[in-house]
Amino acid sequence: MNIIVISTIAMGGLGMFFAIILAITNKKLYVKEDPRIEKVLEALPGVNCGACGNASCHDLAQKIVKGEAEPHDCPVGDSEVTENIANILGIESKEVITKVAIVHCGATEKIRKKRAVYIGGQTCRVADIIGGEISCSYGCFGYGDCVTVCLFDAIEMVEGLPVIDLMKCTGCGQCVEACPRNIISIEDFSKEKLTSTISIACNNPDKGAVVRKICEVGCIGCSLCEKNCEDGSFYMDGMLARIDYSKVYNSEKWDLVIEKCPAKTIKKLGKESKCVCVTHP
Amino acid sequence: MNIILIFIAATIVNNLVLAYFLGICPFLGVSSKIESAVGMGLAATFVMTLAATVTWLIYHYILVRFNVPFLEYVSFILVIASLVQIVEMFIKKFSPDLYRALGIYLPLITTNCAILGLTLFMVLREYNFLESVVFGFGSGIGFTLVLLIMAGIREELEFADVPEAFKGAPITLILAGLLALAFMGFSGIISTS
Repeated sequence: MNIIVISTIAMGGLGMFFAIILAITNKKLYVKEDPRIEKVLEALPGVNCGACGNASCHDLAQKIVKGEAEPHDCPVGDSEVTENIANILGIESKEVITKVAIVHCGATEKIRKKRAVYIGGQTCRVADIIGGEISCSYGCFGYGDCVTVCLFDAIEMVEGLPVIDLMKCTGCGQCVEACPRNIISIEDFSKEKLTSTISIACNNPDKGAVVRKICEVGCIGCSLCEKNCEDGSFYMDGMLARIDYSKVYNSEKWDLVIEKCPAKTIKKLGKESKCVCVTHP
Repeated sequence: MNIILIFIAATIVNNLVLAYFLGICPFLGVSSKIESAVGMGLAATFVMTLAATVTWLIYHYILVRFNVPFLEYVSFILVIASLVQIVEMFIKKFSPDLYRALGIYLPLITTNCAILGLTLFMVLREYNFLESVVFGFGSGIGFTLVLLIMAGIREELEFADVPEAFKGAPITLILAGLLALAFMGFSGIISTS
């Protein structure tokens, strides 16, 4: 009994002693932080994704308040975030360009041709080291590494392919990093108008005959899209068609191009199937 | 003479990091740049010296006197945690850059086993007050020295052609092993620990 009392008193006393010392030092050494940093931090998304190049949202907030960074430097935050920050600091915000991730593979689970049986780790990264089971060495494995890393729940696996919710996607680029096959790219859009867009759902730069053998929907490099849409929105990068997102704007021509594409490689993304205004900074 | 021996033993021969493998976390975490390594080493030295001093006093004048030596772990942790808090506030006030460079490793000095290990060694080896202070200070200097050597090598390593598979953590661990081997060479200087 006695020993318990002594222990309690000893530990309690020591605790008190150090608590008092800490309290005093805290008062003496208190660092005054600019209250605006806290406010800016609240306005930022606060997920510490690192897309802006700073270690944390707090670092960016500090830089914004100091004037070393602009309110729109958060690539993840939309125009509302930028405006809020600009209001806090009393400066005008510039027009915001939204970045959105686009998937460049259209081979769903059913379409994908397999060359082997794969029983290894069920992540894209592991499958990529070994080679995976699918025939196309540029295509999507479908294990969903991108879904796991997405901080905003914007990616969903549908029939073995990642589908990106254009409204939720912030273009932070985490999925681009995660994808071992570099299927996902980040493109510039104007957020107000972005409801849907199109993509070349193939990333295979091989010749048409080779692609045809392993994939029904792969780009065979026929360059019909380039010819049908004369404004330069589509262009050929070797044997692979690509979209110049700064020029694609004519929705009628899109429909034509999509219809004429022999391999049906060009896909519409997003909920509304009609326009699709894509503007460039 | 004894005090000099204790100092050399704590610094080089029985170096906490390379001979006892205590405090590996900051040893690997903060050793990528020389400046932050020195900052970390000095912060740890400060905490170690003070911790040795205060824990010796507490152990002998409170725990032993009232016959409750089983409280040593709890009370030592309390001392270390408080000291780290003070150091943290101090660095935040006077060197925000260092504060940012040390990051999470600064509050983690609290749970650094090197410091708790040092205070427990001190009790185990029955040092007197002066010996304890020298032991604490020496251990801190030894910690700083090793961190500095490691940081120096790692800065040079930036320019070395490391095989792809060994880049980053693997080569650092190999380095740590080689350094520990090299420090084993000092073990002949003093025979008793």
